[in-house]
Amino acid sequence: MILNRPVSADEAIDTWLADPVLQPLIAAHHVVEPLPPRLAAWPQGTDPRLTGALAGRGIDAPYIHQAEAAAAVGAGRNVCVVTPTASGKSLCYNLPVLQAISQDPAARAMYLFPTKALAADQLEELRGIADAAELDLKAGTYDGDTPATVRSVVRSAGQVVITNPDMLHAAILPHHTKWFKLFENLRYVVIDELHTYRGLFGSHVANVVRRLRRICRHYGADPVFICASATIANPRELAERLLDAPVTLVDQNGAPRGRKHVLILNPPVLNARLGLRASSLLTAQGVAARLIRDGLQTIVFARSRTSVEVLTTYLRESLPSQPGQPSPIRGYRGGYLPNERREIERGLRAGRVRGVVTTNALELGIDIGGLDAAISVGYPGTIACTWQQMGRAGRRGTTSLAVLVTSSAPIDQFLATHPGYFFDRTPEHGLVNPDNLHLLLDHLKASAFELPVPDHERFGIEETGTLLDVLEEDGFLRRAADDRYYWSSENFPASAFSLRSAAQENVVIIDTTGDRARVIGEVDLFAAPMLVHEQAIYLHEGAQFHVDRLDWAERKAYVSRVDVDYYTDADQGVTLKVLDCSDEADDGDGGLRARGEVMVAWHATLFKKIKFHTHENVGWGPIHLPEQQMHTAACWLVIPEPAAAAFDRDTLDGALIGLARLAREAAPLLLMCDSRDLGVLAQAQAPFTGRPTLYLYDSVPGGVGLAERLFELGPELIRAAHQLVRDCACEEGCPSCVGPAAEVGARGKRAAEQLLAAMSVA
Amino acid sequence: MTGRSLTDRLLAVRTARSASPQPARPAERAEGLARWLGAQLAIGDVGRVVRVERTITLRTETAARLATLPPGCYFDTETTGLSTGAGTVIFLAAAARLQGRQLAVRQFLLPDYPDERALLRLVAAELGDAARIVTYNGRAFDLPLLASRLTVHGLWQDLSGLPARHDDLLPVARRLWRRPLGGARLAEIEAGVLGLRRASDCPSAEVPGRWFGYLRGGSPDLLADVLDHNAQDVASLALLEAQMVHLRDGGWRTASVLDHRGMAMELLRAGAVGEALAVLEQALEAADGSEAPAIRRLAARLLVAAGDTDRAEAVWRPSTRQASIDAAIAWIEVARIRERYCSDLPAALEAILSASRILDLAFALGRGGGMQAIGRVRLQVESRRRRLQRRVAAAERRRERHLGLRAGSRRARVPADRRPDQAGGSRYTNPGPPAARPASTATHRPSE
Repeated sequence: MILNRPVSADEAIDTWLADPVLQPLIAAHHVVEPLPPRLAAWPQGTDPRLTGALAGRGIDAPYIHQAEAAAAVGAGRNVCVVTPTASGKSLCYNLPVLQAISQDPAARAMYLFPTKALAADQLEELRGIADAAELDLKAGTYDGDTPATVRSVVRSAGQVVITNPDMLHAAILPHHTKWFKLFENLRYVVIDELHTYRGLFGSHVANVVRRLRRICRHYGADPVFICASATIANPRELAERLLDAPVTLVDQNGAPRGRKHVLILNPPVLNARLGLRASSLLTAQGVAARLIRDGLQTIVFARSRTSVEVLTTYLRESLPSQPGQPSPIRGYRGGYLPNERREIERGLRAGRVRGVVTTNALELGIDIGGLDAAISVGYPGTIACTWQQMGRAGRRGTTSLAVLVTSSAPIDQFLATHPGYFFDRTPEHGLVNPDNLHLLLDHLKASAFELPVPDHERFGIEETGTLLDVLEEDGFLRRAADDRYYWSSENFPASAFSLRSAAQENVVIIDTTGDRARVIGEVDLFAAPMLVHEQAIYLHEGAQFHVDRLDWAERKAYVSRVDVDYYTDADQGVTLKVLDCSDEADDGDGGLRARGEVMVAWHATLFKKIKFHTHENVGWGPIHLPEQQMHTAACWLVIPEPAAAAFDRDTLDGALIGLARLAREAAPLLLMCDSRDLGVLAQAQAPFTGRPTLYLYDSVPGGVGLAERLFELGPELIRAAHQLVRDCACEEGCPSCVGPAAEVGARGKRAAEQLLAAMSVA
Repeated sequence: MTGRSLTDRLLAVRTARSASPQPARPAERAEGLARWLGAQLAIGDVGRVVRVERTITLRTETAARLATLPPGCYFDTETTGLSTGAGTVIFLAAAARLQGRQLAVRQFLLPDYPDERALLRLVAAELGDAARIVTYNGRAFDLPLLASRLTVHGLWQDLSGLPARHDDLLPVARRLWRRPLGGARLAEIEAGVLGLRRASDCPSAEVPGRWFGYLRGGSPDLLADVLDHNAQDVASLALLEAQMVHLRDGGWRTASVLDHRGMAMELLRAGAVGEALAVLEQALEAADGSEAPAIRRLAARLLVAAGDTDRAEAVWRPSTRQASIDAAIAWIEVARIRERYCSDLPAALEAILSASRILDLAFALGRGGGMQAIGRVRLQVESRRRRLQRRVAAAERRRERHLGLRAGSRRARVPADRRPDQAGGSRYTNPGPPAARPASTATHRPSE
């Protein structure tokens, strides 16, 4: 790779910002001014061994937020620390925990991280401080990777147990008698990356915390919770929902920061009539290549695994490495094996890796040090996530650069034209619905297995007794004469459900190119039909693999290395059946809103071969794989009779496709969720209603209350969708509103707009 | 989730909730159950438990055999599930002890969940009196589960009062019978070793369902079979232990179903090396060709451990005379014993050369299996031969140098055992006459 004349980061950034080619792309440019550190004194009574060890690591005094957190924890209050990436958040909990253990070796703490990788990372950091302080700390991770022999040691002797909510749910709580030493002496529970616990996962975790507190009560412990979160609008509310207890907020950041340029780049319009813009991927590639060549260490966040691979390939092509040298450009995403990931992380810290392309896998607190530039390709879906990605850029003392390259997706275009939404508004709320009845029932079962539930006990909702009776009726529980409900089934309830997705299994990808077959990665079962169907081109670390055979029953995909000039993209078909309609509201004129339970089924139907660079379609093939199903909550909007009657069937079909797209894109503006959390389906003649109908459903089994809320917000949703289409400058539809005319028909955009107008009035 | 929506069901349950009949009082329940089963009621300060007592008369020799052991409590539980998680409950426990010629079986049955604390205290007291607990798979299941239940109820004193000695018969049974019977479940041992056939038994898989069925208003009759099953389990435990005593005391000579290698291991654990060898000798007489090498190998191992290398070698000698692969294998074993335990390298080399000749012979005569089998053994023989030749030569050189050193040669300053051709050999250096060893050589035991 040929680097340009070495210059300072500041200089490189200034030159780049002044580049005339860049100017028309800039939709917004903000400068975050540098801040000096704000320091405080160590809390009284802090073990001198600890302060000594920290001084040895260059920490002579705590930042104000670290001192404030320690003081609140010392006073026995639950705390939620909200400060940006790389502000020394982990010391906020490591300090009180190590202090407690140095005073009383019997004290115990439990750390919860959303991923195993983070747990391993934090164990190293904790051990580092303890070793330097010459504290005899027994700390260990307890997760799927922990060997059986180590497990029993961690159970009985571990002072700090680092695990994840899934493990707590399925392995620790149901076996609490083996962990009584931990629970009896549990002083602190640390929940880091709090903002990741939202939606379905968060709602589950809130219930796991309820179960944890029950067990602690049983053993006479009352731990203090220390949470840490990225910046979101409602950290205290989220923490209090998750913990079901009052929480003290610590959000005065005392860490210093350097100057940072934050830009929103909107790729240029190529065809105004079609509303076609240049690809955000290609624009980001150009920016990244330029910055890396100028010597800036750069991280690029892409939205999907496929785009990570495509972008890695492009960047390697435009920045060829010296012969015989490994490329300084790396891909990094979920399917890579742990060793490979650790190697890339080390490369980033050491500066050997000059550019990395990743999904949100590197968004969380994995330690890769500060980089010079961060580029987000497409809006990551929430403001909180975007800032977290941008937080990866930033070094003390020098200028850094954070860039959002907007795609043609409606919400991206909305941001490019209304940047105030991004810069001035608080990031969105993290929502959970711990009282979702489906979840409550599952966790009540698990709870009753752990300890019998007294009739008067409240688990989340006032009507816990009613739920207990439902479970008794189903034969899971028995109400005995002492008015307690006992688990009375042979099954192990915690293994019956997962906290994350419905898919528990992965498809293993096996490379058969060499003499010996080897596993190169995994994809989850839900995504497998789209990514590793037969004849798919699977991309891994920029290399192309042809899927020769997919053994669906065995969950194995056999691939071999190829070198072709196309990649593949699959389509899926969705069907929906209403099981139960629980609520209806008449919007007049034959317009109707309703909600209830539905069964959604989807299957991959066909794939297209798409040529690199030109992105033209060069072939296709069918996919034959079993259908997958999900039972979930939905709300649906029936189009008013007179409005629909104004169009012929073809036009109506096109308008409905556009309508579905608009509704799905507008929903995150109201619900503060990701548009992927919702599924949409429009039917010109829906079997259930017999009329043109738009369905919106929670895309997680059972639902987390999104569709339920959308039912209430129906009129607002329609208004927002109407604004989106009305204010779009294109003529016949574009990817930024209803979709291109090729998909919705020549009259699709106008028809969709008229339908929405009619629905708004009604 | 069925077709009915969750909300509908919640509503229905909510209306029914106020009207549901009160469950029977615990006292009435326990009394009713005891009356039905013709059993007593154990009334503790924390609940009521049904106590069933029965005695089983043992054969005189069985009782006599058991009397030779420290008094034990034969213990088995019936539970609501197979996991050892906190939601699995022991609803029935049997504890049996030897009383003269009688086996006194005492069972504790839980009338309903709230009485569990009483049951646990009674069971712990029963076990606490004994010198040791005897179970079948109790190490992995019954005792961890009992500890888990005592922990849930905070009965720490009862937990620490349990006997420290616990004899789990499952690993012994596996050694003695798994190979001949093809399994070591208690039912398989009963049928195959004790000659017992249960008349009408309740399959283990049905057990939790029976108790749940009774709790939900089913007849106590559902539990009668479970009680019998549970009592039979502890009785079988006692018979099984008596059989093990019998085998250890020479009964192995006449046993028809027995894994002799496992028996030898058992005797060895009991310190009876001579007996163990006798078992193997007898086994060798009856063994067919496929079993014999494994038996010989174990016998040789025992003899070597006892320090009798001559007899260890003698175990293999008879089979070295055939012209077959087995003979070659026997010679390899002889070479191994000579090399590792006698430190007689030339003799070991001689044995391995014999193995090589036998292989040539077997091959020429077309005996002793296919090309592949011969080839595999050939590889082994050759690698051993090379190593032995290297070691013999090295020893030779060392001796020469040793003599030279006495004469004051400076050559000896170069440590000979660092030379590449001896790096492997030094690992296998045996304790020998000090004069034959370089002072710096480590004397690790080979870890084969």
